[in-house]
Amino acid sequence: MLAPAGVWLLLLFAVPMGIVVLVSLGRTDPIFEAVYGWHPGNYADVFDPLFAPVLLRSVTYALATVALCLLIGYPIAYYIARFGGRWKTLLIAAVVLPFLVNYLVRTYAWVAILSDEGLANGILQDVGLAENGVRFINTSWAVIGGLVYGYLAFMILPLYAALDRMDPALIEAGKDLYGNRWQTFWHVTWPAAFQGVVAGCVLVFLPAVGDFISAQLLGGPDTYMVGNLIQQQFLEAQNWPFGAALTIVMMGFLLIWMLLYVRSATRASREASA
Amino acid sequence: MTPGLDALSRRDLLRAGAGAALAAYGLAGCGIGHGIRGDVNRVIEPKVDGDLFYFNYSQYINPALVKEFEKRYDVRVIESYFDSMEGMLAKLRSGNAYDVMFPTAEYVQRLIQQEQVLRIPRDKLENLDNIYGYFNDPWYDPDSAHSVPYSLYITGIGYRADILGDLTGSWDDLANEEAAGRIYVLDDYQEALAAGNLRNGFEMNTVVESELNTTEEWLVGLKPLLRGFSVDTITTMSSGNAWIQHLWNGDIINIRYRVDDPDAYVFEKITQDGFPVGSDAFCIPVNSEHPGTALLFIDFMLDPKNAAKNVSWNGYPMPNHGQDETFQELAKGDPNIVVTVDDLEGGDQFANLPQDDRELWTNTFLEVKAS
Amino acid sequence: MSAPGWAARLPLARRRAERRRRRGFDRPRFLLAFFLLFVVWTFAPLLVVALFSFNSTPSLQNFEGFSLQWYDEFFSSVTLRESLVASIEIGFVTMIVGTVLGTTLAFALVRARSRVAQASNVLMLIPLVTPEIVAGVSALVLFTQIGMDLSLLTIMIAEITFSISFVTVIVRARLATMNREVEEAALDLGATRIQTVRLVVLPALWPAIIASALLIFALSFDDFVIAFFTTGESPTPLPVQIYSSIRFGVRPTINAIGTLMLVISFLIVALAVALPRLLGRRGEQNVLIGGEAG
Repeated sequence: MLAPAGVWLLLLFAVPMGIVVLVSLGRTDPIFEAVYGWHPGNYADVFDPLFAPVLLRSVTYALATVALCLLIGYPIAYYIARFGGRWKTLLIAAVVLPFLVNYLVRTYAWVAILSDEGLANGILQDVGLAENGVRFINTSWAVIGGLVYGYLAFMILPLYAALDRMDPALIEAGKDLYGNRWQTFWHVTWPAAFQGVVAGCVLVFLPAVGDFISAQLLGGPDTYMVGNLIQQQFLEAQNWPFGAALTIVMMGFLLIWMLLYVRSATRASREASA
Repeated sequence: MTPGLDALSRRDLLRAGAGAALAAYGLAGCGIGHGIRGDVNRVIEPKVDGDLFYFNYSQYINPALVKEFEKRYDVRVIESYFDSMEGMLAKLRSGNAYDVMFPTAEYVQRLIQQEQVLRIPRDKLENLDNIYGYFNDPWYDPDSAHSVPYSLYITGIGYRADILGDLTGSWDDLANEEAAGRIYVLDDYQEALAAGNLRNGFEMNTVVESELNTTEEWLVGLKPLLRGFSVDTITTMSSGNAWIQHLWNGDIINIRYRVDDPDAYVFEKITQDGFPVGSDAFCIPVNSEHPGTALLFIDFMLDPKNAAKNVSWNGYPMPNHGQDETFQELAKGDPNIVVTVDDLEGGDQFANLPQDDRELWTNTFLEVKAS
Repeated sequence: MSAPGWAARLPLARRRAERRRRRGFDRPRFLLAFFLLFVVWTFAPLLVVALFSFNSTPSLQNFEGFSLQWYDEFFSSVTLRESLVASIEIGFVTMIVGTVLGTTLAFALVRARSRVAQASNVLMLIPLVTPEIVAGVSALVLFTQIGMDLSLLTIMIAEITFSISFVTVIVRARLATMNREVEEAALDLGATRIQTVRLVVLPALWPAIIASALLIFALSFDDFVIAFFTTGESPTPLPVQIYSSIRFGVRPTINAIGTLMLVISFLIVALAVALPRLLGRRGEQNVLIGGEAG
């Protein structure tokens, strides 16, 4: 069972990652070629105080994104799973459909709507709510909005997959047993939903931290994210070794937190539903 | 117990670490990936020898011209795109065989040094006479042996004349109080630092640390007034989000195509402090498989009529006398957009900095953006 | 999750559920309103995209007049058409192979206890944390070092590698809460392991598998960083073309493509849902797909 995926990941992922580690120990020679070598100093450079705020900011944005995706995604997934009936598949497809349109295209549409001379500001000014218009684009909220818009499907789909098995009769029975809505939710719905929530949070948080396109298109002068930083090192700075070292440290940092979170969350859930 | 992590005992980790160290030592000095190999002096002639594999920025050439070329020579032009010079290099070195690509001047010099581009048989091309004399022996390509110039650009400031009136002609306009919160600087380390260096009276390509620090301070000082760093200049200006945008001359023309009131969008040439001038060029990679078709394509694009057509679509001037009139017409009312020969000879061009200096520049810009 | 006590109350509970629903039980109206608002929010930009795809000028801000020029530009451009087809091809292959590999991996991780399986738990999360540019560059270096030419195949390989984890996380979440008693009952009744998987486990897992398949299709269809680094000389996948046009101005042709993609996807989904109904009530067997019991 493990073999096909395991072999694939080993050859085509672990090996390139090994190369990344080796690259992180190299340096760039005077004619801009990245060469192998032994320069663990690259890792020391990663801990320059300049970069910590960037990482912190990225984590903050990603957490905000997860929170918003959960807030928006859970009711949607729940609604479809529980009340979708025979239209379930159609509804889920309707949710996913917008994500098949290229992210850049959708983002530009939002820029058109939310720009200073765009539709939203036009309405706000006509109605008298905002004299000089509201600056939507090029703020941290715009970046978070862009992240939410891009990653929402990554929250809704796992939630839906986990919630879909909810037999309404079980909920009814639970209501009879526990008496009130909250208890029903906690003892009946939550344990099933929980796995979906963990999956959704992981799938949104991890890629969101390393995202760069949202900050690039929608960000302001102070929304620099770690994804932009790493991209800059690989492209503009032509400094693959340092970029690789940054990546390894960032990945290590995130993975440790992720594992701790998943482990403690699983333990808590097991205790609660016992 | 944390699954996974416990499975890796300390011994395993040490073994892996030692393995990595050994590998690093063994491979020390070896390049990651390799450049393309080939004979720089390969004899090539303008003749059809297959379909053309074209590698360029997207939207940088008139598609009607491409179609015309395809029809005339009965070949296909297969387009690939990059969005940065560094990306172009990465794909070039990956072994992909492109036939024509468009590096900027400093990258042409670098590619020549690394022997990655073919020698171009100038005597066999018909339309070279139309090119400005300056490019017969440019600084980045002695005797123009390996490249043929494609387009020209200068960096300046685009602004809303209808809202702001006139500006001062200096890079200080990026700190215009009236437009506070609606100013963008180009998200390009070279352009951003160049603006700062020139404004502070330094050499544009300076690598003196103290000077770069002054520039860095100036840029960081701009940040409270800035709305962002962006190369998406056409969107920022045409959407009204930008009243002042650091941009290239051709962008203004493209912006004007997309707005209700084209005359409101003006290009300012920074005559007071100096400004970057640049060019890019046609080059044929050394591993090209259809260099003959590539030569035909270059000759085709140099034809004065085609240059004129390209310029009116593209918005960027070409150093080709055939387009002079068309471009003057396009830029009428805003002669600042035109790149004159004086600009070329007297202006500052980006130098091909060695790695250490380049790192200095990129780190300075990084500090500006991350602070 | 097991529910011994209240399972006995199911028949009575079911009748009550029916009655309550008819009385607006659980206030689905609030959720419905939220859902509709959500649909408006996600589709609003798509309306803008569709509108501007018919714009007579290149402006993405002001609608000047009606014109089909952008659709014309798309249909007459061989490069664009090939890009779209290439992206769809890559998407489909990635979706199928990635889903299969991810699902098998999910099974292995949930059911197995071996040391290798535990290590794979960690290995599986790493692709999710990898920034796209590192993914792209490392794939590029791998292919160059082993001397493999870049082509659509290399893009597919790279995309699949980074999609597997998404499938595994989603399928595993569902698998972990599945009641093993039904499986064991089936085995007791004489079904083979394979039959059990096919007739008991997979149908229950189906929503998770479909959901993750859709997700990785969308993911690879929209990806441009990995695609850029692993693409050969031709054809260039669509997102690479779109993103590299930021520098000199995105053309409304992109909006035309987006609108076309939307219409095509909508038709495919409508077909996929309508077909089983048209062909007869075969939907009844697959309770969890059609949601008949809902």
